[in-house]
Amino acid sequence: MTSPGQHRVLWTTVVAVPLLLSAIAVVQMRIDAGGRAPGDESDLLLRSPDAVRRMSLGYDALAADIYWTRAVQYYGTRAGTEGARFDQLYPLLDIATALDPKLVAAYHFGAIFLSEPPAVGAGRADLAVALVKRGIAANPGDYLLASDLGFIYYWYLKDYSASANAYLQGSKMPDAPSWLGIMAALVAQRGGSIETSRMIWTEIYNSTQDKTIRERALEMLRDLRAIEDIEVLDQLAQQYKNRVGHFPASSADLRDEGLIRGNPVDPEGYPYVFGPDGRAQLDPQSPVTIPQGLRLPGELPH
Amino acid sequence: MSATIGPVAVNTFREAVRDRVLYNLVLFALLMMGAAILVGQISIGIEQLVISNLGLSAISLFGLVMAIFIGVGLVYKEIERRTLYSLLAKPIHRWQFLVGKYAGLLLTLAVNTAFMTLGLAAAFLYVGGRAGRADLPILIAIYFILLELALVTALALFFSCFSSPMLSTLYTLGIYITGVFAPDIRSVGQFTKNPMLLGITRAIYFLVPNFHNFNAIAAAGHGDAIPSSIIWQNSIYAVLYVVLLLVASAAVFSRRNLK
Repeated sequence: MTSPGQHRVLWTTVVAVPLLLSAIAVVQMRIDAGGRAPGDESDLLLRSPDAVRRMSLGYDALAADIYWTRAVQYYGTRAGTEGARFDQLYPLLDIATALDPKLVAAYHFGAIFLSEPPAVGAGRADLAVALVKRGIAANPGDYLLASDLGFIYYWYLKDYSASANAYLQGSKMPDAPSWLGIMAALVAQRGGSIETSRMIWTEIYNSTQDKTIRERALEMLRDLRAIEDIEVLDQLAQQYKNRVGHFPASSADLRDEGLIRGNPVDPEGYPYVFGPDGRAQLDPQSPVTIPQGLRLPGELPH
Repeated sequence: MSATIGPVAVNTFREAVRDRVLYNLVLFALLMMGAAILVGQISIGIEQLVISNLGLSAISLFGLVMAIFIGVGLVYKEIERRTLYSLLAKPIHRWQFLVGKYAGLLLTLAVNTAFMTLGLAAAFLYVGGRAGRADLPILIAIYFILLELALVTALALFFSCFSSPMLSTLYTLGIYITGVFAPDIRSVGQFTKNPMLLGITRAIYFLVPNFHNFNAIAAAGHGDAIPSSIIWQNSIYAVLYVVLLLVASAAVFSRRNLK
């Protein structure tokens, strides 16, 4: 049996607790609305991996996961925002990988986050190289990290010799797949070619389960297809000029001359347009972009 | 001998269960469920790893809190409630009482750890992992956590034989943290050219229990094989240290004036 006094306490509690919690939430919302609170999440109070390791009291592995997750969140909230800065991305990755040198995901994805040009990433392929090299030193048998290094040199830094060397080192690692050796030879011989780029992006697509990376690889494969289309259209435009005496104004001219059938469109369905110099171009509205620095087959040394 | 130690151990275990210390299992279960559901959404490429790291760290942390806070009260509570006097009036030595108390708390920690291991396995199954030989390092890491807890319990019991629970907690925590940093303490000495400092740091390194030995959480998370030599060396190290602390505790407690 409960006394009336106990009942009063019980009902007071039932009413007071939700009320007080609601009031706390309201005050917190006011604090948040007031601007930057002390200890904003973008602050990285400790930048020394050694200090963080000591403070983690032996729970280094869990602390590494937390720092890696922070890095992902940090990148995710800024990627794609015009003018976004990624100043703390490398320190976060540095701490995560110092706490757990075998945290391969942090090297693998972190290098991409660092390398991607602004505003998609930090545009710091040099830091990505340093990060992945540290990863290879800590995980000597991990050929995928060697492949990452080769890719960064190839795609972001256009250093084909260093890229070929990285792929070659990866191909010598135990259990390395044969495509790494092929890649080393291809990059050394035909660095910067579309076919090499296509092979690299296809391997990236096949070797990862991560949705974001796979989407990025598909985007790049789509862009590479556009480059090939443009190259073919340029050749047809030259043929058109040889026949008619001037460059085509649109793809309809090529069609009327019987050089093509239908209206050629880019991988996103936008029709190709022709400039005054007769060169095929992407529609300005098209989301497809042409990667810089790639060499067309005709430009490659033989 | 076991006829006297056994009942004390079983009663200590029962008392812990009555005190609802196993309620922490609910918190552990919530933590693991939350991690299993959330991590995939907020991070990349570490779903299995974080379950392993978080699960093992939680097993260790929850165990440590229990070992310290229950351990420091093992003797003190019996004196405060004056139950010790009626117990010691029976044909039982003081050291047997201590060993019984120690065994009881260790049993509580082992049961608690076993349940948390089941929770960890369930979380692995949820994120798509499968039980197999690859999980052996995780079981070894849990065994190392148990060794660590056995040592911490012995430390807490030792301090509780002559100090208040508050001070015993501070001493145990202090020794634990020093033990975690044991390799750093040794390397501080190696950086100096002062032979005395080198000697002091070396002495501290060998004197304090080296809790760094028992940290296999990262290795287990990555599925790295843990050499059998480390397993038996850690086991012997823990047993020797626990015996040392129990002997010291018995020595202190047998001389203690309980009037």
